[in-house]
Amino acid sequence: MGFLVPAFLAGFAAVVVPIVLHLRHRDKDTPHRFPSLMFVERLPIRTAQRRRITDWPLLLLRALAIVLLVLAFARPLWSRPGVTHASVSDRTVIVLLDRSMSMGHRGVWERAVNEARRAIAGLGATDRVALVLFDDEAYVAQPLTTDKGLALAALANAKPGAAGTRYAAGLRTARQIAADARTGLAPVDVVLVTDMQRSGLAGLAGLEIPATMRVRTVGLSSSATSRPNASVAVTEARPITGGAREQLAVTAHVTSRSASVARPMTVMLRLNGRPSGTRMLSVNAAGDTKVAFDPVPIPAGLVRGEVTIDADSLAADDTTRFTLTSNDEVRVLLVAPDDAERDETLYIERALAVGRAPSVRLQRVRPSAIDADELRDVALVLLWDAPPPSGSAGEALRAWTTRGGGLVQLAGRRLARRSSTAAILPASIENYADRSDDRGGSLGDVRIDHPLLAPFRETPAALVAPRFLRHARLEPANGGEIVARFDDGSAAIIERTEGTGRVIELGMPLDARAGDFPLQPAYLPFVRRLVLYATGRAATPLARTTGESWVLPAAAREPVVSTPDGSIVRPARDSRAASVPLRESGIYVLHDGQTRSAPVAELAVNTPPAESDLSAISEAELLAGVRRGDASAMTSDTPPAPAEIERRQGLWRIVIGVLALLLLLEMLMASRGWRGVANPLTTVPSSGDGS
Amino acid sequence: MPTAPASFLDPALLARISDLALLARTVVDGFMHGQHRSMRKGSSTDFAQHRAYQPGDDLRRIDWRLLGRTDRFYMKEFEADTNASVIFALDSSASMDYGSHGVTKYDYGRFLIASLAWLSQQQGDRVGLATFTGDIVDVVPPSARHLQLLLHTLARSKATGAGTLATPVQRLAHMTRRAGITVLVTDCYESPEELGRSADALRMRGQDLIIFHVVDAAERDFPFTAAATFEDSESKTRIAVRPDDLRKRYLEQSKTHFAAVAKRFAASGADYVRVDTDQPLDRALHAYLDRRLARSRVR
Repeated sequence: MGFLVPAFLAGFAAVVVPIVLHLRHRDKDTPHRFPSLMFVERLPIRTAQRRRITDWPLLLLRALAIVLLVLAFARPLWSRPGVTHASVSDRTVIVLLDRSMSMGHRGVWERAVNEARRAIAGLGATDRVALVLFDDEAYVAQPLTTDKGLALAALANAKPGAAGTRYAAGLRTARQIAADARTGLAPVDVVLVTDMQRSGLAGLAGLEIPATMRVRTVGLSSSATSRPNASVAVTEARPITGGAREQLAVTAHVTSRSASVARPMTVMLRLNGRPSGTRMLSVNAAGDTKVAFDPVPIPAGLVRGEVTIDADSLAADDTTRFTLTSNDEVRVLLVAPDDAERDETLYIERALAVGRAPSVRLQRVRPSAIDADELRDVALVLLWDAPPPSGSAGEALRAWTTRGGGLVQLAGRRLARRSSTAAILPASIENYADRSDDRGGSLGDVRIDHPLLAPFRETPAALVAPRFLRHARLEPANGGEIVARFDDGSAAIIERTEGTGRVIELGMPLDARAGDFPLQPAYLPFVRRLVLYATGRAATPLARTTGESWVLPAAAREPVVSTPDGSIVRPARDSRAASVPLRESGIYVLHDGQTRSAPVAELAVNTPPAESDLSAISEAELLAGVRRGDASAMTSDTPPAPAEIERRQGLWRIVIGVLALLLLLEMLMASRGWRGVANPLTTVPSSGDGS
Repeated sequence: MPTAPASFLDPALLARISDLALLARTVVDGFMHGQHRSMRKGSSTDFAQHRAYQPGDDLRRIDWRLLGRTDRFYMKEFEADTNASVIFALDSSASMDYGSHGVTKYDYGRFLIASLAWLSQQQGDRVGLATFTGDIVDVVPPSARHLQLLLHTLARSKATGAGTLATPVQRLAHMTRRAGITVLVTDCYESPEELGRSADALRMRGQDLIIFHVVDAAERDFPFTAAATFEDSESKTRIAVRPDDLRKRYLEQSKTHFAAVAKRFAASGADYVRVDTDQPLDRALHAYLDRRLARSRVR
């Protein structure tokens, strides 16, 4: 038992106060006048009754209240000497083993496992140990147990992964284990077995760990002996048209770190497993070396690419992969009225021609050309100031939309003259506004969180910059929802879903005659996003990195994903989409229904580039950003500070609670019963003038 | 609706009457109205007048001759004997200034003396007054004409200071030159022997002594429950007391004291009457009249 502020114990002297008050109480109290105390004075207990302190229970209660008050101010703490030292038998040890990609460096993993095994084997029979594997996430391989065999077995099954390093994830998990174990003030030893990679510091600054948690790092590397490493990444895989067949131009970068001298290296490109190019080059000692392979004929369908360099001590980043689809394009029907001039759709045609993965293939047709056959390979129908077809063509369009097709109608002056509204459309056109008098209108109220406007979340001002001299005024119909409004309050973009397809009505002109939108920077990302959103597509990167998630395309109704390690994942689809966490490097393949079916999509996953940087930090630097105690305090056997012990125990709160109860009891005792009756018998005041 | 005679004698009720003369007349008239016989009978041999017979009159006072002539009953009245002098001695010590039921012992004593003085005046006695504490404070010599002076002196007197009985009673004994009645109203907070010696001094002077021992209900019952500091009204002594623990022994002490006082006064030939302030005055008046009647002489 100790006190955080023992100086307050001097307040015990205040116990004298209630004693004095009780002693003086009767003197100050209004005496009860009585004709004569002749009989009382004769009684043998007179001496006892003359004692000044007549209410010992109340006095003791009040004295105890003061004692408790002083104790509360002195901030008591309860510290058993035995639990503050590491030599006690009931130790709690959490082994944090780094299993990031960098731990696969030659010899590092074996040393790491040995260190972890040594930490586990050195524990006593009653000590508890937990094993946590972490990279950019943490996984409790073995919860706290006194069975060291379990922990060693879990350690034996561990292996380095392909993800990056994040110390914060491991330490947070260790903190949670310690909290769940309810170790109280007993110290928890955390043995952090890692290669001390600098890139893993993200999220560590400001992390709070309890003072009872003592972190000891078992560094497998040091900043003084940084390990050389080379990695490769594909930066571009561009289909080009050359000759009779489309070709693929691949560009890669080889990054060398901490090498002493430049060295020759062979870089090899494989497409669908076949060698497609080899380059011999001299890699700089430190820095990037660009490698451009000769264009090669692109295989049909899904293409898996792979670029490898000569193996070094860390093989996991010596290979990088990418995927692409040779004919990854979106076919868009631009349905323009017969009287539409060519330059009226010039900007939209040019804008949609830009971009790849997927690329947009635009076909301009007349309204009468729409039928079921024409819609077969079409992903989007763009009605350029034209109504949807009626009759069988309209039914075909509706059925096609219900199955997932995208339909966009651009409302212009031609449609404004029509009064009817097709049932498939989300809006009716009220009129066609001419706002040239007020220098045109602009978008005023946009739902920037809507996926259609996702490219502008960081720069919403870009959307309000375009001026529209003339535009249609829309009114929602058939369950349409407004996505954006003009500054005069009329709807500019209205959306509704038809089955699995999306129907969008635009009141804003996309040509340069009725406004300057095509001349604004927002035009190109807007129309491309419009096509991708309406068709349910997303831009597909060449590759992703481990630690990310793959939001599966909607084309797979029952998505089944085979991972690089051969396991099968059936992700659950939530309200928006299904996603798969990317934990392994390699190719993830999406199937629809079963893995024997043709792949719907493929995704290459590579290791994080930062993980290839093997530069290390010191233990002090690693723990410098951790809150509550410096690194030396946490890495030594110093017991937790008394202030921390007192703060965690909070005994003063209990004391204050007891004090409050005591005061309540004192109040009840002092006001009830005979104590509460000041003058039970009223005496008649002095007769005064004798009347 | 007739009022019960005793209600006129309720001390708490009388305390509302500020005029002692009115109070005394109210008490006496009410008291006498309750009696079924005339108490005012002459005691001398000098004929005064006739009056019609009233029930309760002494049959010996009927004028038989006049009955023979008129066939009616007439009473012969004589001039009253005014030889008796009555001195009322009132203890004015601070202990008398205490009351737990609306009227203090001192007020009760004043009511009592005023009533007795009024009654004595009606009987033709000479009345005098002496108030005392440690010594005599006010003196009104006995006289047939001093009733108003007595009442006035009584009204302005106050109970204050410490008091003893011996010194003032001895001085009072020296002041009385002829036999009479001394009515002593006190709370008897002295030893029975001291009180007895004072009574002996008066008796040796030929005084008939009637002692009214005024007791408050709180003194009698000690009903207190809360622990408190009690202060002696005269000595100012303070004692912290827990009444619950003391009550039984206190009551034993007081009972023993009262019995010893009564015994000692009886030994001195004095009439001892204990009056409680929560009781009506009639008991005291009865006791006085009985004593006064025993002293009366018919010439």
